[in-house]
Amino acid sequence: MNRIEANLQSEVTAVKFRLNGISYEKDAPLNMTLLDFLRDGLGYYGTKCGCEIGECGACTVIIDGRAVNSCLVMAAQIDSAEIWTIEGVAPKGASKLHPVQEAFIESDAVHCGFCSPGMIMSVIALLLKNRKPCDDEIKTALAGNLCRCTGYIQIIDAVKKAASVITDADLAKFIPAKH
Amino acid sequence: MINIATYIRPITLPQAVELMAKGDYSPIAGGTDLILQLHHSKPIKLLDISQLGLNFIKNTGDQIEIGAAVTHARLSSDPIIKEFLPVLGKAAGLVGSLQIRNRGTVGGNIANASPCADTAPALLIYDAEVLLKSKKGERQIKLADFITAPYSTLLQPDELLNSFICKNAPKNSNFSYVKVGRRQAVNISRMSIAVSLCQDDNQTIKNVQIAGGSIFPAPSRLLEVENMLIGQPVSAELFEEAGNFAAELMIKYSGHRWSTPYKQPVLAGLMKRALIETSTNRTS
Repeated sequence: MNRIEANLQSEVTAVKFRLNGISYEKDAPLNMTLLDFLRDGLGYYGTKCGCEIGECGACTVIIDGRAVNSCLVMAAQIDSAEIWTIEGVAPKGASKLHPVQEAFIESDAVHCGFCSPGMIMSVIALLLKNRKPCDDEIKTALAGNLCRCTGYIQIIDAVKKAASVITDADLAKFIPAKH
Repeated sequence: MINIATYIRPITLPQAVELMAKGDYSPIAGGTDLILQLHHSKPIKLLDISQLGLNFIKNTGDQIEIGAAVTHARLSSDPIIKEFLPVLGKAAGLVGSLQIRNRGTVGGNIANASPCADTAPALLIYDAEVLLKSKKGERQIKLADFITAPYSTLLQPDELLNSFICKNAPKNSNFSYVKVGRRQAVNISRMSIAVSLCQDDNQTIKNVQIAGGSIFPAPSRLLEVENMLIGQPVSAELFEEAGNFAAELMIKYSGHRWSTPYKQPVLAGLMKRALIETSTNRTS
């Protein structure tokens, strides 16, 4: 029995949540983390599975306006949560990516790309709280996201570039409605 | 895959303590410690405390009560904590990464009872007491007694950790929280020191509270170092002496361990640094 079949045969709990702006009512398998549930349960593979112990940040998603490690949340816990993953970042139907994504490309902040989805979710969560972060604030916000390629310089450049062009409209959808 | 037998999320405290009375539920809040253990544990029954209204910070005059489900992120940014329990705010801001601080709670940090839990020395500075609730009623225990050994507390299987009750820091006190670890970010403390210190106009130490993590088997106050400092004029020599004394006490109470040749000089230096740093942080 493979991992996905094992997961689907387990016990479940009913959860209502919003993912990337869409409402869902699902049975969350009890033996899945949110990371497992996004990938194996819902087919959203943009959120990466790195260390599964909350060290690397590759699985970072935004829940209720805050960056969290989806490997350290149980699928069962997401009832009433508003979740954003990398799949929801670019505006629907637009020809351009989101300004944070554009800034990562322009600054060469994406090398192998494995950390990028988590990194970009952390940057959006930072900009939701602080539109003009200084270097130290950027480093603190990204301390939980490891990148083994860039040495972080380009990533910090990308955050500053994104901060210089981003508008309220670019961030509006990530602000949780219930708060 | 994680091993959960049952997951339940009650919405009132009476419901929660009724379920806990069965004695086989493990409480979960943020889950940043517990979910790691679920990868390797036998299936366990989980009771989620996140909807019980335990995410409060209450100022009752000379005391602050902090609900068990308050996150580290909230502690590190809350104005009441900043004003009255500044060491706790500083320590909570140094836990893990932002992602972990956004989920992990002070109740979980203490109930997990890791020797290196960052909030423990900070709470000890403020003579924190732990309020526990069960179907039978409630009881209040000094945090200093609550953590009995690494990963071991007086919490009974039918009890929920409700809140912490802390004494406010005196006005015009100086404070610091310093830790050493393998790196700066996402840093599990190898050792930590929390200090709150009041001095008079002649730079004589009027009163001082010092607590440490990963120095003794459980996080604890360094009362002997405090007593040595009280009534003494502040000086670099005094702080150095206090550092050496703290290192002696570690060996006296924790014995010689494989890590002692490293920890002894590092603790002496860390204690000195913590005391020096108090001069740069002051409450209003």
